[in-house]
Amino acid sequence: MSAPPAFRQQLLAAMPRLRRYARSLAFDVNSADDLVQSVLERALGHWRQFDPRRDIVLWLLSIAHNAHLDTLRRDRRLDVLPPERVTEVLDARQPLGGDAGLRLDLTAALERLTPDQRSALLLVLVEQLSYAEAAEVLQVPAGTVMSRVSRARVAMRDWLDGSTTLAGSVRAAPKPDLRRVI
Amino acid sequence: MSRPDDFTDTDLSAWLDGELDAERRAQVDAWLHDNLEAGARVRLWAADRDALRARWDPVLGEPLPAALVDQVWQVPALPRWAQAAAMAGLLVAGGVIGAAGMWQWQGQRPGSTLAAGTPAGWVQRAGLAHSVYVAEPLHAVEVKAAEEHLARWLTRRINIEVKLYDLRDEGFELVGGRLLPDAGGKSAQLMYENPQTHQRVTVYLRKPDADAPTAFRYVQQGELGMFYWVEAGAGCALVGALPKERLLALAQAIYKQLPSEQGANAPVR
Repeated sequence: MSAPPAFRQQLLAAMPRLRRYARSLAFDVNSADDLVQSVLERALGHWRQFDPRRDIVLWLLSIAHNAHLDTLRRDRRLDVLPPERVTEVLDARQPLGGDAGLRLDLTAALERLTPDQRSALLLVLVEQLSYAEAAEVLQVPAGTVMSRVSRARVAMRDWLDGSTTLAGSVRAAPKPDLRRVI
Repeated sequence: MSRPDDFTDTDLSAWLDGELDAERRAQVDAWLHDNLEAGARVRLWAADRDALRARWDPVLGEPLPAALVDQVWQVPALPRWAQAAAMAGLLVAGGVIGAAGMWQWQGQRPGSTLAAGTPAGWVQRAGLAHSVYVAEPLHAVEVKAAEEHLARWLTRRINIEVKLYDLRDEGFELVGGRLLPDAGGKSAQLMYENPQTHQRVTVYLRKPDADAPTAFRYVQQGELGMFYWVEAGAGCALVGALPKERLLALAQAIYKQLPSEQGANAPVR
């Protein structure tokens, strides 16, 4: 039997949260929605494993976490991006609104974190989960979440502080492609 | 009890996330008061947190991509033989109904045609009313089929002409009908039963909302299949736990019997 309508409604209701997390993990819209798609596929295929007393958002974020790890593992096996595709890949990134410089730096700083640090940081800061909830999603002890978040903060700050001067020198001698590669 | 200089970045980070207990939080509060450099660091972390939220919170307000909504409502494909049977049924339907130029096949995924991603509320209510009353062995209907005034009574109550469709050629006999509350009004439910299999189907009728889409649609929710359409002043949903092609045959039989001002002579919308 396929998933009941009530379960599907819950999926629909949780989708904005799921998309936000996917976007923060995957950066560009298309790979983020690919990730959401594979989460929905897994959720619909394994709906019986969902305990309705639990928060479906946590369950879905946890599936997203695992699916994202699978993607990372798969990508690592693939060849390095061929140079002729670099522009294409960068163009797929979401256009940055507001203070694009700051946001680009933030995104770049996030990309420098280890995947473990990044997901803990995003779950606590952007998804606003408690350490206990993030621990449930990541299937690690809450203490581990606490230290990963802290280390991620420090690492991101170090990079941002260090990159301010670097970015300044880049802007002084404009090389259009350089800024995009970051 | 820790000495003030014991506070590490991990403590400060947990403090910022509201994860410390009251006693420890108070200690860090006091300590930060005297440690301006640490205070400045924590303020930068808070700014980073706010910037990260500002970066991704807008995603929450984005409309959901239709492909993802469709995926949520997608049901596993019918077995190949059933697909073939359904297609054959559709071709027949095309001959009968296409001539009237009114029905439009919309596929079985409501998300692809409705912005909300779900069938209209009244279709959901039709499904719910079906589930509630087909399970009733004794009080499945309010007024039995044998009573003369059933059609007149329902017609008067819901303000559209209710006809007692004859589905005997399809193996279903009228059990009776009932009046139901509907959003902002009333609706009628007619119940039919197959005397051999004791399967029941219901026909849900209501005066449609002004902007209701008129297309002929199918939606499957769990066991239940529903064909629904809006035609010249009447919203109609046929609900049953039957294979799609069986349900389609019943929908066609109903369509052929629509009252004249709602049926084939009705002006094309």
